[in-house]
Amino acid sequence: MVQGALAGLAAGGLYAVLAVCLTLMSRLVRVVNFAQAATGMFGSYVGVALSVHGGLPEWLAVVLGVLLGGVLSVLIGWVVSTWLAEAGTGTRSAVTVAVLLLLISLSFILFGNKPQPFQALLAGPAFTVGGVVISQVTVVTVALAVVIAFAARLILTKTPVGISLRALSERPTTAELLGIPAKRLSAAVWGATGLISTVIIVIVAPSQSNDATSLSMLVVPAAAAALLGGFRRLDLAVAGGLVLGMLQGALAQVDQLSVVRNFVPFLAIVGLLVWSQRKEVWDAAR
Amino acid sequence: MMRKFLPALAAAVLVTLVAAGCAGTADPNGPIVVGSVNALSGPATFPESSQAAKAVFDAANAAGGVHGRKIEYHAIDDKGDPAAAAAAAREIVGGDQAVALVGSSSLIECQINAKYYQQEKVLSISGIGVDPSCFTSPNIGPANVGPFHDMTLTLLYGSEVLHLEDMCALLEIAGNTLPYYRAAIDEWSKITGKKLKYVDATVPYNGSDYTPYIVKARAAGCKAVTVNPVEPDSIGQLKAAQAQGWKDVTWLLLTSVYSEQYAKAVSEAGQGVYVPAEFYPFTDPSSPRTKEWRDLMTRNNIPLTSFSQGGYLAAKYFLQVLNGMQGEITRESVTKALREMKPISDPMVGTPYVFGPGQTHHDNTAGWPVKLATGTNRWQIAGTDWLRIPRR
Repeated sequence: MVQGALAGLAAGGLYAVLAVCLTLMSRLVRVVNFAQAATGMFGSYVGVALSVHGGLPEWLAVVLGVLLGGVLSVLIGWVVSTWLAEAGTGTRSAVTVAVLLLLISLSFILFGNKPQPFQALLAGPAFTVGGVVISQVTVVTVALAVVIAFAARLILTKTPVGISLRALSERPTTAELLGIPAKRLSAAVWGATGLISTVIIVIVAPSQSNDATSLSMLVVPAAAAALLGGFRRLDLAVAGGLVLGMLQGALAQVDQLSVVRNFVPFLAIVGLLVWSQRKEVWDAAR
Repeated sequence: MMRKFLPALAAAVLVTLVAAGCAGTADPNGPIVVGSVNALSGPATFPESSQAAKAVFDAANAAGGVHGRKIEYHAIDDKGDPAAAAAAAREIVGGDQAVALVGSSSLIECQINAKYYQQEKVLSISGIGVDPSCFTSPNIGPANVGPFHDMTLTLLYGSEVLHLEDMCALLEIAGNTLPYYRAAIDEWSKITGKKLKYVDATVPYNGSDYTPYIVKARAAGCKAVTVNPVEPDSIGQLKAAQAQGWKDVTWLLLTSVYSEQYAKAVSEAGQGVYVPAEFYPFTDPSSPRTKEWRDLMTRNNIPLTSFSQGGYLAAKYFLQVLNGMQGEITRESVTKALREMKPISDPMVGTPYVFGPGQTHHDNTAGWPVKLATGTNRWQIAGTDWLRIPRR
């Protein structure tokens, strides 16, 4: 069980990073970005194509892929903040569902549905704890999740930009009237989360199933993790991601429970929703 | 206003009715209609099988056809969707009045349409049979070995040729395949008297991270692992093993991963990936066994894969039976000819093909071993002859 839980840490770190991105997006630009992982998938696929078919050096192809992930994210953000500036979170989020489907379809059209020859940036074990191997990918994803969550927290609480961002998310119109550059700031948030998602996908894609659908659908467990923090708290999003990964890893060790493993994110989502609504009155909660 | 349209509408209805009436009767001197149901779009696609069959038929048509009649080939997409697969079969069999199906390759088609083919008394020589129904129907006789015999073969190679001990299985189960894989493993046990150390039938298809399953197999003491994966899953499993530093493991896989792309994507393969290729290995470009197929595929820009080998062979077998027929070529006579055909040998397969009168068609029992070693990124031939499942 312990072995399995530690084996699930790599996935946990990945969920945590994506959950942090989702939480930031939700807090700062009022969007639950369903295309969070798909953007990263598309950027990483373009990186592979540039390296394999374009003949670019691998590091350059990866950098370009990551940048494309960021640009793509900014583009979606620009569309949302231009045409849906005053719309509710639900409407703004619905746009990203369309983008998710578009990116999956586009990757099938451009790259086919055969596996991509991803070259591993990190491969092999980092160290062993009590007979359990901790891989390099695990170390990096978990560290990234914690670092990004801390950095985001520092920026939001200690810098002028962070204060402006918070103002913007709480009262967008008031903030704009005070002269805060709304569009530029939200584009920056979209871009930053796009870059982070692409980086994490580039790191994990070589060491797991990396077809377009699997990678894009990583947003589901990430959303379950973000839900633990109510899409507001970064620390709980990180904890949620790590716990979810470890739980899935542990469940895979028991044949009878292995089937449950695939439903864990959904069960977590339902459970957390029910819990968070426990004190709501029916009419008010609707 | 409506009156103006009435004559036109009546004429259109009349034309449609006449056309529908004509569709039901096949012209004895017109083209011979042959069809196939294929995964051309959807989650997993295998377009090469029907493309290869079409190339064979086009070449035959260019050389004068069969008894002076051209072959008209209809390859329909099942989109990986059961409803579309059922509709495709009805379009070919009921609508186009095809005499037979040749070169189909799909994940679901056999399971969906096997009963319908029986009902319509039409036979199908699949290029690549995947699901169990392809090998258990009286009306479907695939040209390939199939994943179940392939698993017996890969285990035989592991235990009898590589002399591996502590062999395990990680099975990805979709639909009703588990009993068939268990039967394939039992077959190996009966032949060799050996047992697998550990079987995990809970491995998911399209899983994101396979590390927990790899850790579990390693902890069970496996030295060799047989899996029935699709390409992306297998790559994920090998990478997970690499991340765990598990290098003393041999992978005994199936033809489903035997492709150039897979070889390019796998750099670290432990002690090697071994596959009993269902047809003579296409990655051996110099072999005379595959020359005819290779030339035809290259001329038609069709990818060189196991799928195009299957489609090509299905069409070749069918043509040979058709050319040997006397009298009218109808669905009934083609069905009779396939049931009574003599076995056809081809250098690309280890078992001569015969449709025959059997209630099931699962007689192709030979594969050619190929190997993918760590750091090579290319498949190599790993045997000098066909590996066969011994007759018991």
